[in-house]
Amino acid sequence: MIAAAAAAAGKAAGPEIDWAGLSPLIAVLGGALVVLLLGLVVSRTVRENVVPLLSIASLAIAIGLSVGQWGRREDLIAGALRLDELTLVLTVIFCVAGIATVLLSWRHVAPREAAHGEYHALLLTSIAGMIVLVAAQNLVTVFLGLELLSIPLYVLCATEMRRASSLESGLKYLVVGSLGSAILLYGLAFIYGATGSTDFAGIATALGGDGDLVTDPLLLTGLALAIVGLAFKASVAPFHQWTPDVYEGAPTPVTAFMAVATKAAAFGITLRLLDVALIEAAIDWAPPLAALAAVTIVVGNVGALGQSSLKRLLAYSSVAQAGYMLAGVVVASRLGLQATVFYLAVYVVMNLAAFAVIVARERETPLGDDIASLNGIGATRPLLAWPMTIAMLALAGFPATAGFIGKFYLIESSVNGGYTWLAVFIVVGSMISLAYYLKVIAAIWMTPSETEEGVAPVPAPLPGGDQPVLAGGSDEATGLRAQGEVIAVAVVFGALTLILGVVPSPLFDVVRGAGAALGLL
Amino acid sequence: MTSLKLFAWLTLLFPLAGCVTIALLGRRLPGRGAGYVGTGALVLSFAAAVATLLALLDQGHDHQQVVAVAYDYASSAGVDAELSLLIDPLSVFMILVVSGVSMLIHAYSISYMGSDRGYVRFFAYLNFFVFSMLLLVLAGNFLVLIIGWAFVGAASYLLISYWYRRTTATGAGIKAFVINVLGDVALVLGTFFIFAHVGTLDLLATFEQAREEFAPGDADLTAGVILLVVGAAAKSAQIPLHTWLADAMEGPTPVSALIHAATMVTAGVYLIARMHPLFELAPTAADVAAIIGVLTLLVAGTIAIAVTDLKRVIAYSTMSQIGYMIMGVSAGAYAAGLFHLMTHAFFKALLFMAAGSVIAAMAGQQNLDRMGGFRRAMPFTFGCMVIGGLALAAVPPFSGFFSKDEILLLMGDRGGWYWILYVAGYVGAFITGIYTFRMIFRAFCGEPVPEARALEEGHLHHAEVHTNPASGEVEDTDVGFPGPEHHIAEREPAMKLAMGVLALLAIVGGLVQIPKLTHVIDSFLEPTFEESALYHRELSDGLIGFGLVLGAVVGIAGVAVAYLIWVKNPDIATRMRAGLAPLHRLFVNKWYFDELIDALVTRPALWFGAWAQQTFERVFVNGLLVGGTTGVVRAGSSAVRAAQTGFLRYYALLIVVGMVALSLYFLLNA
Repeated sequence: MIAAAAAAAGKAAGPEIDWAGLSPLIAVLGGALVVLLLGLVVSRTVRENVVPLLSIASLAIAIGLSVGQWGRREDLIAGALRLDELTLVLTVIFCVAGIATVLLSWRHVAPREAAHGEYHALLLTSIAGMIVLVAAQNLVTVFLGLELLSIPLYVLCATEMRRASSLESGLKYLVVGSLGSAILLYGLAFIYGATGSTDFAGIATALGGDGDLVTDPLLLTGLALAIVGLAFKASVAPFHQWTPDVYEGAPTPVTAFMAVATKAAAFGITLRLLDVALIEAAIDWAPPLAALAAVTIVVGNVGALGQSSLKRLLAYSSVAQAGYMLAGVVVASRLGLQATVFYLAVYVVMNLAAFAVIVARERETPLGDDIASLNGIGATRPLLAWPMTIAMLALAGFPATAGFIGKFYLIESSVNGGYTWLAVFIVVGSMISLAYYLKVIAAIWMTPSETEEGVAPVPAPLPGGDQPVLAGGSDEATGLRAQGEVIAVAVVFGALTLILGVVPSPLFDVVRGAGAALGLL
Repeated sequence: MTSLKLFAWLTLLFPLAGCVTIALLGRRLPGRGAGYVGTGALVLSFAAAVATLLALLDQGHDHQQVVAVAYDYASSAGVDAELSLLIDPLSVFMILVVSGVSMLIHAYSISYMGSDRGYVRFFAYLNFFVFSMLLLVLAGNFLVLIIGWAFVGAASYLLISYWYRRTTATGAGIKAFVINVLGDVALVLGTFFIFAHVGTLDLLATFEQAREEFAPGDADLTAGVILLVVGAAAKSAQIPLHTWLADAMEGPTPVSALIHAATMVTAGVYLIARMHPLFELAPTAADVAAIIGVLTLLVAGTIAIAVTDLKRVIAYSTMSQIGYMIMGVSAGAYAAGLFHLMTHAFFKALLFMAAGSVIAAMAGQQNLDRMGGFRRAMPFTFGCMVIGGLALAAVPPFSGFFSKDEILLLMGDRGGWYWILYVAGYVGAFITGIYTFRMIFRAFCGEPVPEARALEEGHLHHAEVHTNPASGEVEDTDVGFPGPEHHIAEREPAMKLAMGVLALLAIVGGLVQIPKLTHVIDSFLEPTFEESALYHRELSDGLIGFGLVLGAVVGIAGVAVAYLIWVKNPDIATRMRAGLAPLHRLFVNKWYFDELIDALVTRPALWFGAWAQQTFERVFVNGLLVGGTTGVVRAGSSAVRAAQTGFLRYYALLIVVGMVALSLYFLLNA
């Protein structure tokens, strides 16, 4: 395409660039550069306050620019990227998650140790990678976006440099993540080899043109490898095992970001790759994906039982939720696409509420992310107790919360798409999930607190000696009470979970737009 | 149009706001603040209801059915679940009655509940009830209707069990709730029967569709409508689901006045009137409802002659009067049934308020046998009681006379077997006169009891030891029990005001609809019932004249008989009780309905439950199902955790194994 354009012009010319279409991406990348430079400023106020503020500003600008382009459907940069409602709605989701993450890490140890400039620049770069990934409609761009997303995350996981488990988490993620990326790249190469095109439209044409290609071993191997690579990013069983370890070790704000944004990005590209490029091969990939979804639902839900670490619990819960969302992908219909995007949005909201509460309690108690840190907060900290309760109920799919509507939508799409048995798995999985979600609620409301409230929490060593051995581990870092921004995140997203459960129609309208963008039936 | 919708929403939202405000801030309000907030919310709600009425009247005759949709909750899987209100003459009529009477009863409660330790909770519940009831009558589709229906039942439960440390009150609350839930289930099932055919939940659309979808007498529709009748009977305390209402008198007296006389128990009447297009398509179901109504009006009336608990007499009278309404609206006398609903709300609330005043003077004692001679001590209460009693006994020109007669006139006009209803209605009216004035004469005439004497001397009697009037158990006056102080209308302006307004309404309320002279309600409700063939009936002059005379004679005769028996010759009562001992036993034991339900339902269920618990539950459910599934899940959980070794090499291995398996699947399938 580029070559054709160049030939027509008679000289080597770059592709035409639609700056408006790229503007959200540019805003985020520009923000990354600015905060990276500002991080070098000596003034501590600038580093600790201006840098996060600017990060938030650039994300907010990106949200504004995305909303402003709602309804556009165009190819960008010679077809490397696609601007449509799916891209835009996911961009907004990433930026919202990014803003929440910046707020959660405002006074956290991680950016202090890793230097604020770097921490925020990495975060913004990762978001830029996500935007590229979900907009990609070319195999090369897919890989580019995936790596741009992943590499900053490997680093972010290890930003609490003096805590061994944080480093372990980063290293594990790096090693296993590289394996996943390699498999994906291999798969993409096979697909290119079989179809002779890296462009999604070209792949779709090749598959549609020749009936034999759908059974071509080269294509099928590539498909299998690509699915494994994406399943890895989305923590789909049996490729999920890094999830609990990495989630637990990483700094909690980073965990929150990974849990919500990475998953949304992985599902975004999965939807686009499968439903646009490989839609003709749906008879090939739908049944095994359905099997993976079922396995994921079971593994995630039973794995979460008996976890005492809240972050591990939510890690397994995120595995299970990935299984639910995969059901929307499996059916390869517009309804399924809408249900998946709806659930992604809701999933982000409810998880951010839960993680904000974990962050708050990590700072208030010496118990870390142990479930006991929530004991009795129903009586003492209603502003934390209610968002957590709502988030847990929503994750379990309780009526009147957004989670219920999301799950209902997914079940409806599975039944409509002929996968009733998968819908049964979703329901049974939800039943099992109540066992651990209600455990959290029981801790909040029914277990009396052991530590006396009002006494300034003492930074005591964690069981297992994982506490930072940093000499300057000031109580400012661990014993912060002034964390209004964390509570605000919890309250806002908790309220949003409830509001979207009672008034879901605006979100329905948004995902309907996203559903129309891919041209599915 | 927009202002109409806005006012309707405001009518609904003020009580909700009041409930939330009282619940959150009530304890911080000084003194009786919660009561004033609750009453203020109802005043605003009533004002909004009046504004809704005016806005509705501004609409042309053909545009008086307005649906206000707040938002679309979900429209998928073939369900159109919207949060919508239906504003039409019927619902506006209902919100006026509900918010108006509620407003007065709230005002009464400011004083009456004044010394109760649960004062704040009381008003939060009461406002919640009014919100639920308004939601029920304003519902624009079945979904919202069911929500309001269930909320109302829950509010009733909370308020019956309001004195939650009284075992009799909690027992009564549970009984009411169980029977109400039975009705809820019937309503949901009935809705499903209808929804399965018409494919929409919206009320107006359902009626429209039903006319095309169903032939008259369609079996599915009849089944669905009979289920609606069951729901209506449970909520409106009709035979055989009536037993909870008498027990519901365990709640505070304002609750009895508001929920168990004026508003909630009339929900069944509203339901039938609202669903009249369906009932007209299923005449069998409508006849069933009419028969239930006539049975209830006779049976409850006879019980009311025999029971000695002051509030229970009025409760049985309520059942009996609702029997008239159910009979009326089921047989096509829509405007008349709703007219009676309105006048009944006035005079029955008044009677309960007066009874509450007497009970307060008796320091909580409710037994008629221990009362007497309060006429001089409590002139205002006595006056109100007599006005309410005359209206209830349908003595002209009080309001009950016109409304009851209109129902019976239409029964007579329909002819055929409806003549049985016509005759039974007059028999019931005669009984009504007897029991109403039996109650009044026994409480207010004769020798003053010590409590009445004390009051004449200016001392309000206080029991030294507080006891539960139902069981005689000794209680204290802490939270969860009735408060230590009692308040009577003679001393409390707020109570006097509420009772005075209701007394006035009970006297003149009937004038809005006098046969041949005025027809305010008829013409106001006309747009709702426009399509109904039964609505536009011309009554013959002869029937009207005969009915009016007969009604007046029967009502006055009932009062006269009561006077003869309980004032003139008190020993007649004793002799009759001895002479008709079996009959008296039957009435006093409420026709043995409680025992019947106990023998037919409760005992077999308990027995079966015990048996199933011993065998099925222990072995199969607990052992196999629960133990088996949790065992499987637990084993799965430990397997997943065992695989989670923490070693990267295993993770990588599993990824590779998974990848190979997936690839093999693809290749083998190709």
